[in-house]
Amino acid sequence: MTPLAIRSYTTTSAAGTGKEATAAALREGRSGLAPNDLPWAPLPCWIGRVAACEPVKIPAAFAAYDCRNNRLALFALEQDGFVAAVSAARRRHGADRIGVFLGTSTSGILSTELAYQQRDPVTGGLPEAFLYDTTHNLDATTEFVRGVLGLKGPAMTLSTACSSSAKVFALAERFIRLGLIDAAVVGGVDSLCHTTLYGFSALQLVAPDICRPFDPGRRGLSIGEAAGFALLERGEGAVNLLGYGETSDAHHMSTPHPEGDGARRAMLEALGRAGLAPRAIDYVNLHGTATPANDRAEGRAVHGVFGATPCSSTKGITGHTLGAAGITEAAIAILSLEQGFLPGMPTTREVDPETQCAIALHGEARFLERVMSNSFGFGGSNCALVFGRAAR
Amino acid sequence: MIRVAVASAGVIAPGMPDWAAARAVLGSTRVFESQPLADIAPASLAPAERRRSSPTVRLAIAVAEQALDSTALQAHEMALVFSSAEAAGLITHQLCEVLAGSREVSPTQFHNSVHNAPSGYYSIAMNAKGSAASICRGPWSFGAGLLAATAQVVADEVPVLFVCYDSPLPAPLSDSMPVLEATAIALVLSPRAQDAALGSWEVAVLPALAPDPWPAWMPPLWHANAAARGFAALATLAAGASAGAAATVPLSDDLALRVTRC
Repeated sequence: MTPLAIRSYTTTSAAGTGKEATAAALREGRSGLAPNDLPWAPLPCWIGRVAACEPVKIPAAFAAYDCRNNRLALFALEQDGFVAAVSAARRRHGADRIGVFLGTSTSGILSTELAYQQRDPVTGGLPEAFLYDTTHNLDATTEFVRGVLGLKGPAMTLSTACSSSAKVFALAERFIRLGLIDAAVVGGVDSLCHTTLYGFSALQLVAPDICRPFDPGRRGLSIGEAAGFALLERGEGAVNLLGYGETSDAHHMSTPHPEGDGARRAMLEALGRAGLAPRAIDYVNLHGTATPANDRAEGRAVHGVFGATPCSSTKGITGHTLGAAGITEAAIAILSLEQGFLPGMPTTREVDPETQCAIALHGEARFLERVMSNSFGFGGSNCALVFGRAAR
Repeated sequence: MIRVAVASAGVIAPGMPDWAAARAVLGSTRVFESQPLADIAPASLAPAERRRSSPTVRLAIAVAEQALDSTALQAHEMALVFSSAEAAGLITHQLCEVLAGSREVSPTQFHNSVHNAPSGYYSIAMNAKGSAASICRGPWSFGAGLLAATAQVVADEVPVLFVCYDSPLPAPLSDSMPVLEATAIALVLSPRAQDAALGSWEVAVLPALAPDPWPAWMPPLWHANAAARGFAALATLAAGASAGAAATVPLSDDLALRVTRC
């Protein structure tokens, strides 16, 4: 495919607010995870909370959209000059020529969870102030972001669990290639809620301590929240989207194919679209959730495709940000390209000897030309993205 | 301009158990009469999966099966674009009830709560290993899903199974989103002109077009259903419709999808 320029991007998670703070955490091997201190969900686990988004004020014109997910979205949107970059693109192309494609798994479901705690004891009704359309519906954040950015092009929300905000790059690329739009804001937002904290606990996938991807003693994931955005445009930028691959496992709703067959096909498709051989990739940012089944399957698939190419999971630093994992790790992959470093895995004490792929446990400075980011989700949904520096 | 062949269709709604019934109503050769839907039991789901899955999953797969049964195109060759304004619906209600009380969530209920549960179960049932998108655009989910599906047909030159569905919501969620009857539409779309058994469409994104008024035959109850917007597009394929027949489906409050039979 013809590469697309990434003109601007931003990422906010427990690891950091904006690109520089995130890059510093990655370089220094500093985890943003902390023991769960949510008064409303007292579970014995670690979480990646973005407490700084909690007091964010939603502008009066968008008051109906006020919820944790949209506060996090707005907080993240305001970092790294992203709004200014989108405004400049809007002047170049026109508001109706820029699309908005965001991923999420639970959007603002916390609003509905809280409303269900306040049902009318007689009628069973939800509180009058509860607004489903603008605070919970999966599309609520997309419509909010489209409004805040003043964009008028086609928009939609993609929700395939933990691959959601990776797959939006593919959706946007097709729209740009066909000339439906000239540029796109892609990204994703997912915020802490009861559904995912208690749901993943019910599946016995939440670690009681901090998550340790690929560690022989790993006991599951640590849930985090995050928001991130990227502005895609035709042409060549300092960093570019080179390819993507999207596949389905067709195996099981909540466990991956044991050999990582769907993951392998997604990586090969992404390389195919980019017109690259596996050896052209210098680093793979793994999905690496720290559940034994996920790590093993992905490790086998990555080893099968890439052999000794270094790879790491950054979920020990950010937590598993679910529907926002795709954009969070795409941003990390792009940061590693731009700034020349391999992110390490500070919460992993040693690498499970069963692991086949070439885990880079310790971060280091290294010039990278092209990188891949993997995202996999429930429903057997897989997506691999390839990013690269400008051709020299 | 995007041009796709429409290879086959499926419809499930009260009084419209299949595409033939819908086609007759849309072509005014039959008067619409609401009939309660029979129990929806997709043939491709094993009995255990059928029990484990949600009503939304069963609705989406059953309507997809109709479209697959009337085309020679193979399920495993198709990319998937599933679209819904609220796919979890009943499961969201059940989860929120549990989370407001004991917080003892059932693991099956949790994995069924993801928006892509219908496409996930479908891909397992049909061994469909290609790309699968699961779209939400609130009340505009039909237009957004159809746009994503047709874009993929043309951009990747693959057949796409597009499915849009609304499953009834229980109270009190239905006070906020009053989907009270099921409506579902499936379409197999192809890049090859020879696959156009039902006709071909040109689709274009246009600003500030008012959507078509709701058809007179449609129960007003369905106006809350995102999939119900699709009947305007299906009408261009109905008995008596010819080239040039067009429909306008909303994509936003300021943007529409123009679907023209060609």
